[in-house]
Amino acid sequence: MFRLGCDIGGTFTDFVLLDGETGDLQFFKVLTTLSDPSEAVDRGIAAIDERCPAFLGATEHVIHGTTLVINALIERTGARTALVTSKGFRDILAMRREARYDTYDITARYPVALVPRDLCFEVTERVYADGRVVQPLDADEGRRVLDALVEREIESLAVCFLHSYANPANERAFADLAARHCPDITLSLSSDVLPEIQEYPRTSTTVVNAFVKPLVGRYLRRLDDRLKNRSFERGLYLMLSGGGVISAETAGRYPVRLVESGPVGGALAAAHIGELADLPELLSFDMGGTTAKACHIRQGRLPITTEFEVDRVHRFKKGSGTPIAAPTVNVIEIGAGGGSIAQIDDMALVRVGPQSAGADPGPICYGLGGDRPTVTDADLVLGYLNPSFFLGGEMGLRQREAVEGIRRAVAEPLNLAIEQAAWGIHEVVNENMAGAARYHIAEHGGDAGAATMVAFGGAGPVHAVEVARKLGISSVLVPVGAGVFSALGFVVAPISYEVSRTHVAPLESMTEGVLEDMFRELEAEGMAVVRAAREGAAVVCSRALDMCYRGQGSNIRFDIGGGPGDRVPFDGIAGRFAEEYRARYGYAYDDLEPQLRTLRVIVSAASEQPSLDLKFAGRRGEARAARTGTRPAYAPDEAAFVEHDVYRLDLLGPDAGFEGPAIVEAPDSTLVIGPGAGAVTDAGGWIMVTVR
Amino acid sequence: MTSRKPIPNIDPITFQVLWSRLIAVADEMAVALEKTAFSHVVRDNHDYACAVYDADGEMMAEATHCTPGQIGAMTRVMHQFLEVHPADSLSPGDVLITNDPWFGSGHTPDVFVASPAFLDGQLIGFAASSAHHVDIGGRLASPDTREVYEEGLIIPISKLFVAGEPNRDLFNIVERNVRMPDKVIGDLRAQVACNHVGGRRLGETMRERGLQSLTGLSSQIMAHSETSMRSAIAEVPDGVYAHDLDLGITDRSGNPLRIRLELEISGDRIHADFTGSSPQVDLPVNAVYNITYAYVVFGVKCALHPHIPNNVGCYRPFTVTAPEGTILNAVYPAPCMWRTDIVYHIAEAVFVALSRKLPDKVIAPCGTYPLWLSIFAGKMDDGAPFVQHFNAAGGQGAGHDRDGATTTVYPANLSNTPVELLEIESPLVCDQKFLVADSGGPGRFRGGLGQEVVLRNGGVHPIAGTIIGGRYDAGAPGLLGGRAGANGHVRVNDDAPFTGHREISLAPGDRLTLRYPGGGGFGDPTARDRAAVENDLKEGLVSETQAREAYGA
Repeated sequence: MFRLGCDIGGTFTDFVLLDGETGDLQFFKVLTTLSDPSEAVDRGIAAIDERCPAFLGATEHVIHGTTLVINALIERTGARTALVTSKGFRDILAMRREARYDTYDITARYPVALVPRDLCFEVTERVYADGRVVQPLDADEGRRVLDALVEREIESLAVCFLHSYANPANERAFADLAARHCPDITLSLSSDVLPEIQEYPRTSTTVVNAFVKPLVGRYLRRLDDRLKNRSFERGLYLMLSGGGVISAETAGRYPVRLVESGPVGGALAAAHIGELADLPELLSFDMGGTTAKACHIRQGRLPITTEFEVDRVHRFKKGSGTPIAAPTVNVIEIGAGGGSIAQIDDMALVRVGPQSAGADPGPICYGLGGDRPTVTDADLVLGYLNPSFFLGGEMGLRQREAVEGIRRAVAEPLNLAIEQAAWGIHEVVNENMAGAARYHIAEHGGDAGAATMVAFGGAGPVHAVEVARKLGISSVLVPVGAGVFSALGFVVAPISYEVSRTHVAPLESMTEGVLEDMFRELEAEGMAVVRAAREGAAVVCSRALDMCYRGQGSNIRFDIGGGPGDRVPFDGIAGRFAEEYRARYGYAYDDLEPQLRTLRVIVSAASEQPSLDLKFAGRRGEARAARTGTRPAYAPDEAAFVEHDVYRLDLLGPDAGFEGPAIVEAPDSTLVIGPGAGAVTDAGGWIMVTVR
Repeated sequence: MTSRKPIPNIDPITFQVLWSRLIAVADEMAVALEKTAFSHVVRDNHDYACAVYDADGEMMAEATHCTPGQIGAMTRVMHQFLEVHPADSLSPGDVLITNDPWFGSGHTPDVFVASPAFLDGQLIGFAASSAHHVDIGGRLASPDTREVYEEGLIIPISKLFVAGEPNRDLFNIVERNVRMPDKVIGDLRAQVACNHVGGRRLGETMRERGLQSLTGLSSQIMAHSETSMRSAIAEVPDGVYAHDLDLGITDRSGNPLRIRLELEISGDRIHADFTGSSPQVDLPVNAVYNITYAYVVFGVKCALHPHIPNNVGCYRPFTVTAPEGTILNAVYPAPCMWRTDIVYHIAEAVFVALSRKLPDKVIAPCGTYPLWLSIFAGKMDDGAPFVQHFNAAGGQGAGHDRDGATTTVYPANLSNTPVELLEIESPLVCDQKFLVADSGGPGRFRGGLGQEVVLRNGGVHPIAGTIIGGRYDAGAPGLLGGRAGANGHVRVNDDAPFTGHREISLAPGDRLTLRYPGGGGFGDPTARDRAAVENDLKEGLVSETQAREAYGA
């Protein structure tokens, strides 16, 4: 049986077809159809069908990642949405957290709420922090609000009452009222979407869900129709931001969980490769045309954040966006890609990015009208890119124009030689990426020096070895298929779903029975979702807790195991929390009260993951046979161009070893190995570089 | 564009990469501090600063997100440390400490900790951090002190560690003088750990780059920043820019307190002169020279050059005169706990002064000065003690091309207190929290809206509170034809509104109403875009009455 992974990106829709029996992988690409992305999916399937006739009949899963949600948020093309809150709190969205995201900038702008104030309504009701309903829903008032919604032609409604995570009764009463009174309005209740404490992130997350829900529903129906037309009746799954996949039906109900549907794939694939290669600590490093992404992965576990933001006013400034507190793999994004523009700023410094020339007009060397030098132009001038083998030779790169652009914009103003200026661009962008990655790793309590980098994306392998050196990382692993790596992640993702509920209480006040009951309830809820996605599947539940010391504003999340066998016993929770706290912060407290905040259950279909051998057809011969010649490229330590051996990736066989300075060329990326570094290829089809 | 060429021994690219690296080192210190600090003030309010220095004690780089009051003090405190403990007397493992308001940032809760960094036995520089501590003893947060002695323990410049060994006596003194010793000591240790990260990274950076010392790099960074700051100043027409403002506070005899600022710009230099400002008072609002200086630079930097990384070079074009014995250069033992009542308004004075020639660089006065903060303490229903801060913000002033930000803090940077956390951590119940219509000062661009919060004692025990706020008599003024935002207003139940900071007691069922002021408007309101007025009406941000009376709609 096959698995088909399909990742819709801004420019290309990538496909990975995995043969579950042989572990063979095939990659495909078609242009994305922005008006109806399901069309590109359909076209891609047709194209694959030409190469593998009737493959769809033998395909078990189609796993889909989509930028639909993120695009709808950025372009504000979601539904006409309203919000209903508890009396006295309609301004939760407008007030945000009342903080600034830039210390000095008095002209900073803040994200405009997805629901304008005149579509924010209040009803009389109140639940207290302990879950007591002190004021039941005023149904008459509720009906008046619903009348107003109908009159205002509202398509989708978010309902977020205070403390509904502790008791959803009033939200549900309002939902019942709405279902009877105006059944055409799509509903999103905060107690369903994210039953967790803190009114602003919960409201924001629920509103995002409501905003995209009708749109996603229509899209998924269209996609499903197209697949049915091709007689595909088996499972259509969606990639979730949290790293699992789930049925299209569940995804349609909670589309807010699809926000990072695409970028997660790369981190998942890196984590999977890390497990295959038995690497405990990884930094996935994905550098594309506009941005670079990094993710620190320990023991194969993806880091999950509940402080994700979308649609930032300043894309790379934390705090300038709309928060989404649904579980999301913590992939950091840096404004540093091949298309990032280099310029001299008002302080006479070279600034690279975050502004990008994108794919159109693109770098100067593309010859498509770009006239501002980019990282790709610098990489070309430094000899790292082969002007006649870009995209496998499909696009000739214009070296002379790139040199001119760098001379004009950087070399002359700073009085530098061309190669110094080009190196400057390369070096500055590397330092930016290394700085952001170092910060991310530190925040995550990791040790850069102990990590292996997994480098991919079109520009990733060009910069990886230098970035690794800056981080003190000694090994860089470059997978084959670096250009479509994200889609690879989809086919190895487990069917899995996280459910959570806030329950604030001192740990001391809890009993094993009470906690067990709450976990069981969550497990039942999660199992229902997973079984709906995979009928009859055996499931594995794993539990996690968010805890803090009483009075702290932020929690830490930690796993407490799954089945009765490996579960942390109730009386071991305090110790486990202290251990986790110590691991992150250096010490724990024995005189302070540990407090429960949120219970989490991750339910996964029991492992039916294909074993991915990463075998690639046509990999024969030793390094010598793959060497196509040499070319001069810039070696910074010698401040000069030196000859680099040039290899063709597709000709490198297993267990081939070679030394830098060297360049390995593939159609979709180029690996640069400076002097002093060495590399070996593995039977699994990847290159492991040892940084000097 | 500036034309100064960097010092010849470092090429411009290496220079830039190293500069970014130093900022990254300071940022990493901030992560270490947040990760290891115990108190919510550091962890959640980010009320701290971290920086790295060269071997002469000059500040080379500072973490990206620091609180303004401490940012400026960080540039000066290291020299004060080194005067007492000269660099050549320090050993690896030494750690220096002070919270003396006259050396640091002007009030006792801000504790500064500095650690020398060594590489191969050689002093290469310093890493330092400051943090606002949850308690430092004294009359906790009292708005009624007359002398600094009532504001807690003052640690003169001392060694917290000597060659790696803790100074037990000092730890004991701190422990015995503060309310939450575990948190305070925990945060001090976090500061030491954070400095350790900074010092280690400085050494690693030098090794990686084969540098013998940081001095050349440091002077190049400062020269570069200084040049850049000077060229921004040079673009401002020469002249004296003055502003005189009433702080809305009176001394104990009822005399209003005033700031008088003359900002003299000549060429690429700025001289701020506060001569004529009110004499210091026996109320806890006085500013020491360090923080007055810091807020002058902060205000000007916000207006003229917000994106230049902060280091000593940015400060060199500035001189500040504030006569001794005034509220802007108070002398020991003046009380100064709530200096935010005065120093936040320095930004206002700078902006209003500059607005006459540079209207596009500034914003109108904000409803967020002075600082608003409520601190509650008492017992939960089960008798367990609680202390709860409540943060919320008024509206910012409008700019020349945009409305002021609604309910957004400035110049500090505290997030609000989520209602659901407030209600779970304390017996307080929040009955309402909403934007106050018409509270944004009318203008061509409208001031940001303030908000009203109604808190109620929902428990069974009385709750004590300290309520810090302001603009009770007059709202944030408008700028260049703009009108004032709405006043602040605080009262308990239906009692008379407050006229200043107050200590209160809320019996079960008592309500506290806090109305945070709006920001000032910018420009003539009748020139406001009609569509914007319509939209404000539609969203209920202005009433029909205000639309008619102020905007002529």
